[in-house]
Amino acid sequence: MELAEKLEILADSAKYDVACTSSGVDRGGRHGSLGSCVAPGICHAFTPDGRCVSLLKVLYSNACSYDCSYCVNRRSNDIRRATFDPRELAELTIGFYRRNYIEGLFLSSAVVATPDLTMEKMIEALRILREKYHFRGYIHAKAIPGADPLLVRRLGYLADRMSVNIELPSADSLQRLAPDKKKSAVLAPMGQIAAESKQNRRELQLYRSAQPFAPAGQSTQMIVGASPETDRHIMGLTEALYKKYSLKRVFYSAYLPVVEDSRLPALTTRPPLLREHRLYQADWLLRYYHFSAGELLSEEEPNFNPYLDPKCCWAIRNPAFFPVEVNTAAKEDLLRVPGIGPKSALRIIQARRMQHLGMAELKRIGVVLKRAQYFITCNGYLGAHGTRAEIANALLDPKAFGVGVQQLSFDDCMPKALPDAAPELHRLTAEGMDVLQAAALLKQEAVTCITRQM
Amino acid sequence: MHYQADVADVVYRYDGTMQGFLCCVFESFRRRELPCGICSPEEGRLTLFPEREIATDPARARRVLTGIERLGGGVRQRFMTAFLSTDPEKEQILLRYLRLAFATGRGVDRMLGDPDVAAAWQLERAVNGEAHHFLEFIRFEERDGMLGAVIHPQNMVLPLLRPHFCSRLPDEAFLIYDATHGIAMLRRGNEVRYLEMEDYDRETSPEEQQWQMLWKRFFRALTIEPRRNERCQRTHCPRRFWRDMCEMQGGCLEVPGQSRKALEEPRNA
Ligand code: SF4
Repeated sequence: MELAEKLEILADSAKYDVACTSSGVDRGGRHGSLGSCVAPGICHAFTPDGRCVSLLKVLYSNACSYDCSYCVNRRSNDIRRATFDPRELAELTIGFYRRNYIEGLFLSSAVVATPDLTMEKMIEALRILREKYHFRGYIHAKAIPGADPLLVRRLGYLADRMSVNIELPSADSLQRLAPDKKKSAVLAPMGQIAAESKQNRRELQLYRSAQPFAPAGQSTQMIVGASPETDRHIMGLTEALYKKYSLKRVFYSAYLPVVEDSRLPALTTRPPLLREHRLYQADWLLRYYHFSAGELLSEEEPNFNPYLDPKCCWAIRNPAFFPVEVNTAAKEDLLRVPGIGPKSALRIIQARRMQHLGMAELKRIGVVLKRAQYFITCNGYLGAHGTRAEIANALLDPKAFGVGVQQLSFDDCMPKALPDAAPELHRLTAEGMDVLQAAALLKQEAVTCITRQM
Repeated sequence: MHYQADVADVVYRYDGTMQGFLCCVFESFRRRELPCGICSPEEGRLTLFPEREIATDPARARRVLTGIERLGGGVRQRFMTAFLSTDPEKEQILLRYLRLAFATGRGVDRMLGDPDVAAAWQLERAVNGEAHHFLEFIRFEERDGMLGAVIHPQNMVLPLLRPHFCSRLPDEAFLIYDATHGIAMLRRGNEVRYLEMEDYDRETSPEEQQWQMLWKRFFRALTIEPRRNERCQRTHCPRRFWRDMCEMQGGCLEVPGQSRKALEEPRNA
């Protein structure tokens, strides 16, 4: 099979894996080798679905011997199959890397024959990259559940980031939809990677020459919308994963029906993109805003509000916390204000050492005041007074009501609900309502509903 | 205003270089005045006010630069970066920023609430933002073992690309051609040079075409159709970068000996 076709098949099979970041390591270039890494990571392209391409994301092979029901590569699916050769994959990575197409390689694989055999091939490809080409760019490698711990270990010394996909948010769902995988088979390598990283950090402190083990840590991914778990359950799981396995990132992937299966949502189901977005927002709140999962959702309210981001939701439920005085508040408190993020908070703290901050100063600092103004005071003065309806309007997430023209064919230029708009908007338009009218109606309802909560 | 200077009915004209600009700063201090305009040679000669030609004197420039350096790395960096901007107001903004900086001392870079500091910071942000986009979107092609790329930036970003690409490609010779300003940055061995350049021919060898075709097909295979969201694509990768990115151009997807149909065959049939 020709290389181009292989690449196409194996990229296509890998594309549902969402993690494509190259973040977490800083490693300058060095003579005699090729490549470098920068901690925030670099995106290199954006596909028409708006997702970033940072790494050459491919499967080593898509010829799977397992049969997970939600997956395109499952054994019983009739698709084109391909498998790389370690050498050709390494060459491809280098060619793309030199042209600045990518930051490195994201290698994962279907289970070819056995997990061990698959891992050995993957390791060989990475070994060629690191040892023959002296590649210092980024490598993200996925450990295959069920592989020998020794192989997981070897992979970790070649990769920057490792991941094991937890796939589904609960053991029940996993058993129902991925009968070949056991929860323990997923958690075992995760635990091993966490333990090895910890030990490696200690070694690196003692000996400078020690080889780093997955210096960018590990991440995982789960599919949302294929199984019945609530957002609250997912956030609880996320928090536990961060704590227990010191994961760097948890990724969510909106379930996209690829196969007809009575255990799964119908093929016509839209991927829950807005829900995925809310989960990511909440995930950020955990990682950068000092929120805990328990603060975001409750038993009575187990799912995120489609029309509000989780932080605004929290602000509405906790009016007693506000207003926050920008000239004196602690960083954690600033971070709770809708519209103030980590960057703005940092700038506020730096700038207020030099001068008192009023609204004009905040604006110059680059703080977006649309939402924040109702929740802050500057030297005792409230940023802005607003009626409940005005505040609710400012807090609404425009994404939920997204309408746009997306030309899929030449004679098609009618405005439509964007793919990541609220499900309710899609439902109304599917019932035949004009999309702009539907968006206006929904917005009205959302404002009414929010003002009632305030 | 936190410093002593009167706005004078005069326009400074300088040679457009950083040294020249530093001499304008010197002049402004010496005369305790703020000119109502500072023009580089590229800007039109029509001004309402009398012009004063400011000669470039390396010794004076050096003195001002030493002064700036004493104000700390943050101030220096903001000045150096913002000066790469092509905003027609940049000289005025930077002059006001530097005057305030000399009057206030260290820490001025953190006074983002001040209008003069904020204006300089915005310039710096815009230049850094653009440079960062080029770290992402530059596409090299290979010709005789050397890498070459064309960009069309608004600002003079080449000096900001230099450390990144020198570190990323430690043993490669490469050239980045800034077609907007007609300057190329050439790195060979351990040396980096900036050259004036008029034209750049794209590489058309079959090997290079093959690489670009591979990349384009990879790019296309990655797209998830049910998630199509071109607006989101354009926010992250604005259209003005597309002209120099090979995957955003059509064509070149065909491989000899393979029909188009094979490519379009639905996967989950
Ligand atoms: S193991 Fe399951 S999820 Fe992984 S490729 Fe095979 S079928 Fe898909």
